[in-house]
Amino acid sequence: MVRTAKVTDKLKQVKIFPQRLLQPETAEKLLNELDQVKGVIRMLISGKNLPRKITCGPGTGKDVNHPDRIIIHVSGCAFELHVIVGEVLVEVEDESAVEELRKACERALPFPFEMKRGYFIKTKPTLTDFGKYGFKSRTDETINLEDERMLGLVDPHAKLETNICMVKAEENP
Amino acid sequence: MAYKPQYYPGNTSVAKNRRKHMADDVEKMRDISDEDLTAILGHRAPGSDYPSTHPPLAEMGEPDCPVREVVEPTPGAAAGDRIRYAQFSDSMYNAPSVPYWRSYHAAINFRGVDPGTLSGRQVNEMRERDLEEYTKRQAETEMTDWGLAGLRGCTVHGHSLRLQEDGVMFDMLDRRRLEGGVIVMDKDQVGVPIDRKVNLGKPMTEAEAAKRTTFYRVDNVAFRSDKEVIEWTQRIWELRTKYGFQPKA
Repeated sequence: MVRTAKVTDKLKQVKIFPQRLLQPETAEKLLNELDQVKGVIRMLISGKNLPRKITCGPGTGKDVNHPDRIIIHVSGCAFELHVIVGEVLVEVEDESAVEELRKACERALPFPFEMKRGYFIKTKPTLTDFGKYGFKSRTDETINLEDERMLGLVDPHAKLETNICMVKAEENP
Repeated sequence: MAYKPQYYPGNTSVAKNRRKHMADDVEKMRDISDEDLTAILGHRAPGSDYPSTHPPLAEMGEPDCPVREVVEPTPGAAAGDRIRYAQFSDSMYNAPSVPYWRSYHAAINFRGVDPGTLSGRQVNEMRERDLEEYTKRQAETEMTDWGLAGLRGCTVHGHSLRLQEDGVMFDMLDRRRLEGGVIVMDKDQVGVPIDRKVNLGKPMTEAEAAKRTTFYRVDNVAFRSDKEVIEWTQRIWELRTKYGFQPKA
């Protein structure tokens, strides 16, 4: 992913929706392929939760130990999968990257997939974001967030550090 | 000629399968031992006695009642067993049983049942030893493909989800999984680990599941492709509507 890209109104967002829920190995391969596409600004993976412990019923508190909850590596960055990957939302700089995304998916996925264009990740702060991050200062009423690409990537109640993976962040100023 | 009930209209494979399930005319596909079944149900330790909630009926001295004389108690009721439950989830991707058909199967072919049907799962409450007999019937026959269905007392999510890459319905608690070409279960229905790996047999292939399913799907057998089913569904809907209509209200 590139860190120098600016958030503008010309961004394109694509939802990649595979026919099957992805095993960690396939998800890792897909994310690495997508990451190689020029112009990808950010990606969001979503799917069904893989809980660490049972949260209801007579077994509450027992470990689940789901085999799909493992650490995967995307462009040298390791993170633990908390979900079984069901879809990937990708934001790219312009239209030219969309076809490359399709080719990357064809390389990584051994079964059919759908690609939908639309508006899936928010690009402008909402009231909830202002409630979480606040204003920059008394005189500057823009959101108090260093990188606006963080918007919409995690649930308002979740912690950024454990849910966001900054790829190649150290290479850019 | 003996009366033979026809439970469901239609001539498609789905309609025929639905009739088979209701009539309990289902093919046995695997063997699951009593101990293994008790273990995955998780209500009592395998091999232990059935806990009871009241003394056996024979010792209780029942009141003089003509209905009690006519209706013979089930083995579980006669012994005073507890009421326990079993719950199945079925994938909408051509699982053999629609939850409603599990209920029909239980209510038509077993006694002392309290079936509860939801969109993607079906729970059934019975006396414990009756429940084991009923669950064994559903678990061993073509009513259950363990790749596309699961015994899930809680966290049942999976019915409406896409299948995993290996063709198995998603299980958030990883109670059962595909290992070496067969489905194994090493937790009970609520996700508590058990002391054994229960072999639940090979999952059905996609083609076989499509053949044995009771789900209507546009990519397999569409509901609207069966004219007789449509006709009877509309007729029952019409009669229900007319019956329920009250001009005075």
